[in-house]
This record gives sequence, C-alpha cells and structure tokens, in this order.
Amino acid sequence: MSADAIYMQTIIAGIVMVGAYVVGKLFKFSTEMCMFLAVVGGGIAGGAGFDLFRHLAEGSVTYLDIGLIFVFATIFMNIIKESGGTNYIVRKIVGAFYNKKILMLILLMCVILVPGALTGAGSISVLVVGGTVAAALGAMGLSKVTISAIIFIVAGLSAAAPPINIWAMMTCANTAIPYVGFTMPLLIPIIILGLFTVLFLGRKAKVIDREKALKDIPEPKGLSGWSVGIPFLVLIFLLAAPRIWPFGFPVLGLPLAFAICALVAWAMNYKRVNILKVSKDTVSQLTPLLATTAVVGMLVQIMSFNGVKGLISMWIVTAPLIVVWIILPFIIPISEGLLTYGGAMVIGIPLIWMLNSNGINPVIVLAGLSLLWPLGDGLPPTALIGRLTVSTVGYKGSYGSFLKECIVPWIAITVVGMIMVIFANNLSFLMMVG
Amino acid sequence: MMRKWIILAVLLLVVLAGGIPLYIHRNFKEEVVAGEGVTGFFKLSKYFSGIEGTIADTDVFELKGSEEGGKMLIIAGTHESEPSAALAAFYLIENLKVDRGTVYIIPHFNRSGSLGTQPGGGFPLYFSMETPWGEKTFRMGDRGFQALDQWPDPDVYIHYPEGQAMSYIDARNTNRAWPGRPDGLYAEQVTYAAMEMIKKEKIDIVIDLHEAEAMYPVTNCIVVPEKSMSYATGASFYVKGREKFENHVERSPTAFRGLSHREIGDWSDAYPFLLESPGVHLDQITAAKTPELIMDGIDPFVLKAAEKGLLFVPYDENGFSMDRRVGQHSSVIQEIVVQWSKKNPERGLTISAPRYKEIVDNGLGYFFKDPSKADKSDVYLQ
Repeated sequence: MSADAIYMQTIIAGIVMVGAYVVGKLFKFSTEMCMFLAVVGGGIAGGAGFDLFRHLAEGSVTYLDIGLIFVFATIFMNIIKESGGTNYIVRKIVGAFYNKKILMLILLMCVILVPGALTGAGSISVLVVGGTVAAALGAMGLSKVTISAIIFIVAGLSAAAPPINIWAMMTCANTAIPYVGFTMPLLIPIIILGLFTVLFLGRKAKVIDREKALKDIPEPKGLSGWSVGIPFLVLIFLLAAPRIWPFGFPVLGLPLAFAICALVAWAMNYKRVNILKVSKDTVSQLTPLLATTAVVGMLVQIMSFNGVKGLISMWIVTAPLIVVWIILPFIIPISEGLLTYGGAMVIGIPLIWMLNSNGINPVIVLAGLSLLWPLGDGLPPTALIGRLTVSTVGYKGSYGSFLKECIVPWIAITVVGMIMVIFANNLSFLMMVG
Repeated sequence: MMRKWIILAVLLLVVLAGGIPLYIHRNFKEEVVAGEGVTGFFKLSKYFSGIEGTIADTDVFELKGSEEGGKMLIIAGTHESEPSAALAAFYLIENLKVDRGTVYIIPHFNRSGSLGTQPGGGFPLYFSMETPWGEKTFRMGDRGFQALDQWPDPDVYIHYPEGQAMSYIDARNTNRAWPGRPDGLYAEQVTYAAMEMIKKEKIDIVIDLHEAEAMYPVTNCIVVPEKSMSYATGASFYVKGREKFENHVERSPTAFRGLSHREIGDWSDAYPFLLESPGVHLDQITAAKTPELIMDGIDPFVLKAAEKGLLFVPYDENGFSMDRRVGQHSSVIQEIVVQWSKKNPERGLTISAPRYKEIVDNGLGYFFKDPSKADKSDVYLQ
C-alpha cells in the first residue's frame, strides 16, 4: 500500500471513530457506549474483520487492575462509612482543629496527598480519604462544588507526588530513563501548588462553630477508636511493608491489599455493617467507572491497531518546538482524558525522545508533564477521577460547574508545569537534591 | 426474562469470539528444525529446579563443536514483542556451524511473553514469511510476562539486590530482573536460572538479542559494560567497514539496574553484549500495526519523523526489513566471536553462518528448513 493510501486509510479510520461517537451522543447513549461505538467503528474501518472481537477482549483487560482497585478500595471505604467511622474521624478533627482554619486546610491537604503519593493513584486518595476530608471541609462552611474541586486537584497532585508517579515511571520504563532524581523536581512544585489550591479554594472557609458542627455530625454509637483505626493501620502496613521489606514481603497487589483491609474493617464492625449489601451497592455505584476502564483499554487497542494513535503522536512530535509548547497544555490533559495512562504512552514517550534529542533534561520535562497529566483525569470522555470525586463528595450540580470551580488552580498547575518543561535545563539543579 | 437471556447469550458469543483466538494463539507452536550444529537440547531448569514445570522454564539448544573452546550463550525473546531476536535464534539453530567451542541458544527466554500480545498494543497475533517451501508463521509476543502467568503486580517494582524503584510494569520485564533471585517473581527466577547456567557452565560471552524503536536513542547498536567494550568496538568497526551497515556501541549505564548488559557483567565472569536492531513496529508513531509492518518495517509516519531528523537510525522508504534485522544480528554475533577469539585464543570459538549480505540477498525465509520434510526427531515445537 502506498504512503498516501496509508495516510488516507488512517484519517478515514479516525473520522469514522469520531463519527460513531457523535452518532452515539445524538442517540443520547452513555459516554461509555459512545466510546464503545467509536471502538467498533475504528476496528471495522481499520479492517479488523472478525479479529475485532479479539481486539475487544485484549483491550478490555488493559486497565483491569485499575478497575479492581476501584472496587476493593471503595468497598473498604464504604464499610468504614457504614460503620460510622467517617463521622467518628471528622468529629475528632473538628474537635481538635476547629479554631485553626489555615492549619486545618494544610493538614487536610497532607491527608489527601499521602495515599496518592504512596500508590501513584489519585483515585486512592479520593476513595480512601475523600469522604472524610469532604465532611471536614463541609464543616468549615465550604460548598460541595468547592470541596470537590479541592479534593480533585490535590488528589491529582498526590498521584504525581513522589515516591510513586505512574506517568513518569511508565514513560521511564519505555524510554530506558532510570526513575531516579524525580523526588525534588516533583515534591517542590506539588507542595507549592497544593498549598495554593487549598488556600485559594478554601479562602471562604470559616472558623468552625465547634458545638454546632459536632451537633450536625451524628456521633456513632458504640464505636471505638480502635475499630476505626485498625483497618487504616492495616492499610498503612500493607502499603509500607513492600517498601520496608521489598524482598521478603509477598506481592499482594493493591486490589488484594484493599480487600484485606475491607475484611478487617468488617470484622471490627460486623454487627453494624452488612458486607454483602455494601459490596453489592459499591459495584452498582462503580459500574459506569468500571465500564469506562474497560472501554478505554479497547480504545487504546483499536487506535493502535488502526494507526490513529500513531498519526496523532506523529503530528505532535513532528510539529515545530514552538507549536509543541503551545499545544502541550491542552494535548496532555486531553490525551489523559481520552486514554488515561495510555496518554503517557502515546504522547509522553515520543515527546521525551524528541526533547531529549534536543538536549533538554528529560527528568525535569517528565516532572513538569506529570503535573499536567492528572488534570486530564477530570476531562471527558473518561473523567475517571473527576467523576469519582463528585460522586464521593455527593455534589449534585452539573459536571461543567465542577470543572469551572477548578479553573484557577488548573491554570496555576499548567503554568508551573510548562515552566518546568520549557526551562527544564535551567531547573536541573532540582535534581541535585532528589 | 427472555431479554436477559438473549443479552447473556450475545455476551457469551462475544467473549468466545474474542477469547478463542487468544487461546489458539497461546497454544500455537512454532516449528524449528535442528541444524547439523545442534548437539543437545534441555530445559533451563537444569540449572535451577525451582522453575521446573512452570511457565518460567524454557528450552535451551546446545551446539557443541568437535574441538574444545570457549562458551557462548545467546538469549533471544527477552522481550517477545521484538521478534527479530527469536527469528535470529531460530535461524542460528537451523544454520549455525560450530567447529570450536560451545554455543547455547535460548529462543524464547521469556516464554510467557511469547504466548500473548500486549493488551492495548493492537498488534497482530501472528506474522509470516515466504520460504522456498511455503509460508512460515510465527507468534507475535509481549514485552513482559503475561499477566495470566505473573500477577498481581506490585504497586512499585524494586530491583533485587540494588533496591532501585521502577515502574510496576517492570516487575514483568526480564530485562529489569537480572541477576534475579530464586524466591522472586517468575521474571526474577528465569534470570536467576540463566545466571546459574552462566556461572556453572563458565560461559565466556552472553549475547542478549533485542529490537528497539527507531526514535529511541539506544537503537541499532551494541550495549556493553566497560569490560566488553573493546570487543564490541572491534565488531562495530568491522561490520561498518566490511559489511556496510551501521551498528554503533553504547556504554551500559551504571545507575540503571536490572539490565542484562549491566548485571551479567557485574555478577559473573561472562562478557555481556546486548544487540539492538531497529524494529519500527515498536515506535509509538506508526500507522496500523500489521504483520507487514513487523516484517518489512516500512511506515510512512516513521518516514516523516526521519525527514524531520527525529530518528536514530538511517531510514528511508525501503524501511528496515526482518531480513536486515536478523542479518545484522547474525553478522554482529559472529564478529564479536572473532574479536573475542583473537584476544582470548585459549577460550576461542569458531562458528559460521550466512551473514548480513547473504541473508538480505536471499531473504531470511530461504534459510529455514521445511519441517514436513525433516526427520521428526529434528523438529522442535516452540
């Protein structure tokens, strides 16, 4: 086949995919169903024939682990919530810090940062501490849309925070760049941006009226600190142990670690919690997200199969550098919104190679890009973490209003990230301490 | 109720239609006909019984010369998505003559990875080549161990024994697992078994065959630690001067752990060499991932990147065919042996097989034997 014919075939496949998605929207299908139609259209236009089914099967398991983590982490947190544990924690926080507004905002920021930093997944921050932090922020008089924005942005930063940054690690794995020297280039901007986010979005927070707040948050009957604390201690142990004893502790994987914690939480509260009902409700709650993780894997598979993925990344890496600087703030989050981690593979890898060959420090570039990727987790069509956040917080307004609330920290993160990308070589000193 | 059953039946059909090709692929056997150089065949578990009967165990072909000499281990299929490695191994098993010394060849080092393609990669399950006696088909594979065989992944992979943190996906990567450990993950166990073999057999040279993206700086090259440098440099000069193809030398970084070219040299007396040939099907910027792309290496998007000066290999509209990639591996291996034998005559090897030009002129398929006409005892299923 001639080069022109290959270009034409790939462009047609891309148009068919977009067309199938739009047709699905016209028929008011769900986002997941529209993406699935795009997958099928892309497969047929790419000439998959009967092999389309194989591509669907193979693609659907691309992000299986992420889906399993969602399920077991949410079951764990829902058991804690059902047992009254969330209210217990919030009452304790309010009781201790009710008159220290700034300190409380910073403390809550740290609480969100830690789980994501340890696991590399912002979703874990949202799932494990999102509900508790939301309740504490609610007690400070912040609206649900503001709370959602704080949790989403800081959870995104937590995913990029060291020691585990999956975007950087995946890109390093595929570009043979050692995952070393990232600690300070990631930590310093993330702490600055995290502080800015909570202080800016939390500027309308009030000093808590302790008596009123404690009255509004029901006190769980017969719940001890141990029955709330032990499951979290087990979680901390299961996250920390593989790092403390990397060659002596069995590889459990995050889904099993959360499943164990869920069982421990239930064992501590079995009289108060119907585990079967909680599990069933959790799976129902997460079905759209699970469908998204499966269909995004299919999308990545088909776009690779039919060359649309290659065409997009080729356009980006062959563009003049100035154009790359201009489109990066948009294309990085959009690629994450479209392909989740696949975005790092499609654009991150060729981009790093291109910039590296131009003599630009790849570690600082990757650290800068890592700030932009999590923003995409709030963007449609997938909006995985954004949807998870509004669902956890219980915000019932439009998704657009939630995104609007995120705009100022979003811009701040974009500016810092792009400064790191463009002036990577000038910022190389950051690696000296990380 | 009926509607639910219909939906269930349709779903079942879709699952079967998607799953059966994967099952067939996993059980598809490649045929390799042992050439006259093959003198033995055994499992890698001979050196570490811990992998016996597991997916980590793999086949080793022995080619022993009539004269005693040095020993070389050729590892292919470390990354099974880089097929010129396994094809070079098959080619050598069928064509290599060993007069002095012993050559061991492992065609599918990461056997699990050879039994499935990369989820999300969009690769074809098979690719084929023409031979004088018909079409020969091979399985396409995955970079790492299949999740079906090694799962769950840790949330971060920590290299043994250096403790370097890496992406969780590297937990399944056999080229991040050297020198391995007996009670580790499968990827660590298979490298441990190979290290045991290298030490017990007193292997002199270890060749690890790979392919790399054209956009990747470490491509079309020989990656070596300091101690292998002079041999690699000699081989590189020779193939450039005499055989007219580029294959530069890259130094193995000391800060990047788990790689064969680093750990084998550090943990044994062997001299490691990692050979990279350019496999453009691996590039992120290719058009459709087709069997033809794997075989011919012709891609207009990659060509566009070449025009912009973004590639690290010479690339034109003729692509980078499998014949060239396997031909390069054949010539570079033989030239490393020549360089080694010159400087270490007491541990020298004498080997021969058609080199780059002959393979490119005739096509790789020309050198594969017809399994249907071979003695059944010479046909090995891989």
